[in-house]
Amino acid sequence: MSVPSLPPTAFDEQAAVADIAGIEPRGRMAFLRAPALRRPSMLFGLGVVVFFVLVAIFAPLLEPYDPRAKTGAVYEAPSSAHWLGTDDGGADMLSLVIAGSRVSLIVGFAAALVAMLIGGTIGLWSGFYGGKSDTILMRITDYVLVIPDIPLMIIIAALFGRSLTNIILIIGIIYWTSTARLIRAQTKSVRERAYVTRARALGARNQRLIGKHVLPQVMPLLIANTVLTVAIAIFAETYITFLGLGDPSLISWGRLIENAFTGDAVLNDAWWAIVPPGVCVTLVILACTMIGMAMEDALNPRLRVGHLSVRRFRLRPLKGALETE
Amino acid sequence: MRSADYVIKRVFFAIVTVFVAITLNFVLFRTLPGDAVDALRCRQCSPAFKELQRKELGLDKSQWEQYRLYVTGLATGDLGTSLRTQKSVRSELWDPIKNTMPMIALGTIFAIVLGTLTGVLAAWRRDTLVDKGGVWVSLGFYSMPTQWLGLLMVLFVAGAVGLPTSGIETPTLGILGDASTWDVWVDRLKHMILPALTLGLVLYGDYALIVRSAMLETLGEDYVLTARAKGLSNWSIVRKHGFRNALLPIVTLIALSLGFIIGGFITIEYVFSYPGIGLETVEAIDQRDWPIVQAIFLLLTFSVIFFNLLADLLYVKLDPRVVEA
Amino acid sequence: MTAPLLQVENLHVWFDLEGGGELHAVQGVSFDLAEGERVGLVGESGCGKTTAILAVMGLLPPSASIAGKVFLDGEDILAQGEETMSPHRWVDVAMVFQGAMNAFNPVKTVGEQIVEPMELHGTASGKQARQQAGELLERVGIPAARASSYPHQFSGGMRQRAAIAMALACTPKVLLADEPTTALDVMVQAQILQLLVGLAADFGLALILVTHDLPIVAQVCERAAVMYAGEIVELGPTDALYHDPRHPYTRLLFAATPDLYGEDAVVSIPGTPPRLDRELTGCPFAPRCDSSFAPCATVKPKLISTAADHTAACHLNDPALKAAS
Repeated sequence: MSVPSLPPTAFDEQAAVADIAGIEPRGRMAFLRAPALRRPSMLFGLGVVVFFVLVAIFAPLLEPYDPRAKTGAVYEAPSSAHWLGTDDGGADMLSLVIAGSRVSLIVGFAAALVAMLIGGTIGLWSGFYGGKSDTILMRITDYVLVIPDIPLMIIIAALFGRSLTNIILIIGIIYWTSTARLIRAQTKSVRERAYVTRARALGARNQRLIGKHVLPQVMPLLIANTVLTVAIAIFAETYITFLGLGDPSLISWGRLIENAFTGDAVLNDAWWAIVPPGVCVTLVILACTMIGMAMEDALNPRLRVGHLSVRRFRLRPLKGALETE
Repeated sequence: MRSADYVIKRVFFAIVTVFVAITLNFVLFRTLPGDAVDALRCRQCSPAFKELQRKELGLDKSQWEQYRLYVTGLATGDLGTSLRTQKSVRSELWDPIKNTMPMIALGTIFAIVLGTLTGVLAAWRRDTLVDKGGVWVSLGFYSMPTQWLGLLMVLFVAGAVGLPTSGIETPTLGILGDASTWDVWVDRLKHMILPALTLGLVLYGDYALIVRSAMLETLGEDYVLTARAKGLSNWSIVRKHGFRNALLPIVTLIALSLGFIIGGFITIEYVFSYPGIGLETVEAIDQRDWPIVQAIFLLLTFSVIFFNLLADLLYVKLDPRVVEA
Repeated sequence: MTAPLLQVENLHVWFDLEGGGELHAVQGVSFDLAEGERVGLVGESGCGKTTAILAVMGLLPPSASIAGKVFLDGEDILAQGEETMSPHRWVDVAMVFQGAMNAFNPVKTVGEQIVEPMELHGTASGKQARQQAGELLERVGIPAARASSYPHQFSGGMRQRAAIAMALACTPKVLLADEPTTALDVMVQAQILQLLVGLAADFGLALILVTHDLPIVAQVCERAAVMYAGEIVELGPTDALYHDPRHPYTRLLFAATPDLYGEDAVVSIPGTPPRLDRELTGCPFAPRCDSSFAPCATVKPKLISTAADHTAACHLNDPALKAAS
């Protein structure tokens, strides 16, 4: 089903002006300079993501205990020995949460990468070549979009096994569709720009056109979209593991939440087994969303114009040299 | 094209998609590894029983024959027979549907109302505390895994407010004396509140952001400047020009998202042991009761198609320009 | 001598820039407008002319701050900000915007939008308002029945006329027309201009016509002000500006207008206007001027009277300075 959507725009005035002049815009540099990328929310987002990535990388060094070993009593409350208490098997929650960051982030990034590759390729192909392959690809996308995502994931996960790779692939295969549409729209718009037509007229082959002229202009949008897909992928992983369909040998934040549920953490009032992994997931998803939104704003600055303000227009008294005319 | 043409076109497309969905559904469930009956796990499932099942389900016939049977069956409303209970799928699903619908309706209405209020307020009082606070809170709820929020509800809210946390009815109701219809209704409602609230909170974040974004976009348009020049107050402008115009993207995006609530309510019903379609899906997949899963899958797909069509039709109603497209 | 209807005194406008700093977009603009008079405001894109008239109606975005006085019938309407300004909008001062295409709300009919200010300010309501709207449309050459059409159903020229009709809804005393003919083809341009002149005479309107297009100023306006880099550099009767320009910029502007049938080479003014986010020393036009001399780089010229009702800001008009060079 097609929904009327906003047309893609040149992501800064330079690109539009360059288009009129028929020259190639210095897209990437201008994009990186956009003020939207300096917003506190963007910096917060980046900070959080970097923090958790570091935690994941250095997990074995940071864990106070072996996350799989019983190092305390069952559902022990937080104490100086166990900062976040223990789970239903007596394992240290803090170590578990730190260890969980690895799988959660890996799944998030990897699945988003898969989705980006599939969606990006389809979108580029569709948008660039147009015609019959475009129609076919878009019809397929429309039909895939209609399939309910979570139930499909549950079914495939239930049937095809619970390995890490499978989970990554499943998520990636389900969530490429919005990327494909977005990239297709952007590719179409870029393709019509003057410098591409000129390059084509000069005899550049399609691969060169795509690689050198179209792709750089599409890349920032693709990255912004991929960041948002990371958030969706992490969500999806928590759903799959919550329903008991994850790899039981892996520790992930989703797994910790599931464990708390099946281990009756609620009955034991063990909030420390429930809250921390969820907070981590929420923070990372929040961070990715903010980064993605800031990037999209940088690409599409017109949202900053506003005619209304609650504050009245501001008057200044004239002073000094301006007073006499 | 005239609006009648557009409507017919969209409806036709929806019907085609329905057929494709039915076919894909059929194909999907036939390509599952192993015979549908092979994987069946239930107490009375001896090999002889399974042979009987095969014959009854017509699995010994050719694929085309099976397809024909399936489609004609659907046309008469026959969704097959549950492998576990041997009752018709329709009768099996009736109660779960009756339970899920009101819960989702409650949650969605809550989300739409709260989301719209928040979004409009945030856009009107742009860049003030109301805006920034509203955005952060919305993003916060939007970033929470649904099952985690559900667990938090159970952990912190249920006890405090005295609401039940599982099932749809209190087992002890009616034991000590006749329970009136009113009592039964109130009891059911009480069981619905927490799941609905969880769903509502997660959705509201998304909607608030959509509304705010659409409003800001609209408020940056030139005709808002004209309205201001005419002397309209800020609030009048927000009401008459901002909101009315923002309804277009708002309505379509919300209608689209309604088709995808599925992801949310499956995990919610799982957390709250709420006997609705979501819980039924999980149990049926777990026990490999494919006719049930297939029927639910089809229902969910229809729901997505329906809401997409609704979005298209509403768009025509709201935007006089679409007609000329 | 009667007091002027509109008196702008030492108007300054600053815009906050997103990375910090300010843009001094309007620098000390002063002019008068008598009843029924037609004055042109001329200059290149970006010289501040649109900003200046938006400031007169208090329609600048929140990032702007204003200094100076605007007297309407002797009352300083900028003084108390939005409160004093609002009641005068559309009733005393109305505006026809650049790009009338977008000045209309696409989801409301043209008639509704003409009636809107009438009902807001209480000049008419209900059936009477609708009738008056129809009459206004007839006045500008559009059949009254078209009031129930949507803006996208009008051609560019018709929309511009409708915008003019809308501006006259509350029979204002002053009409600000910002580039009313840009983006229209030449035939339609002539019609719109004729319309404006005719309406001004019939309604006794005072008109400020903002444009970069000199020939139409010559056609419509009795007096004109030439703006450069946020200031008025010359002000006087249109005839005088053409035949006896007292500022090199004015002279070059007239010379730069291509003469389709002439044999002269196309003259253009080399260089670009100065940046307005920094303080400038000396005459802002000096770098591009063909007659600059010693004092131009260091001393800023003030507006001096060169003839009755003709002022210019150029050192060339100062006999003392000329003698000294």
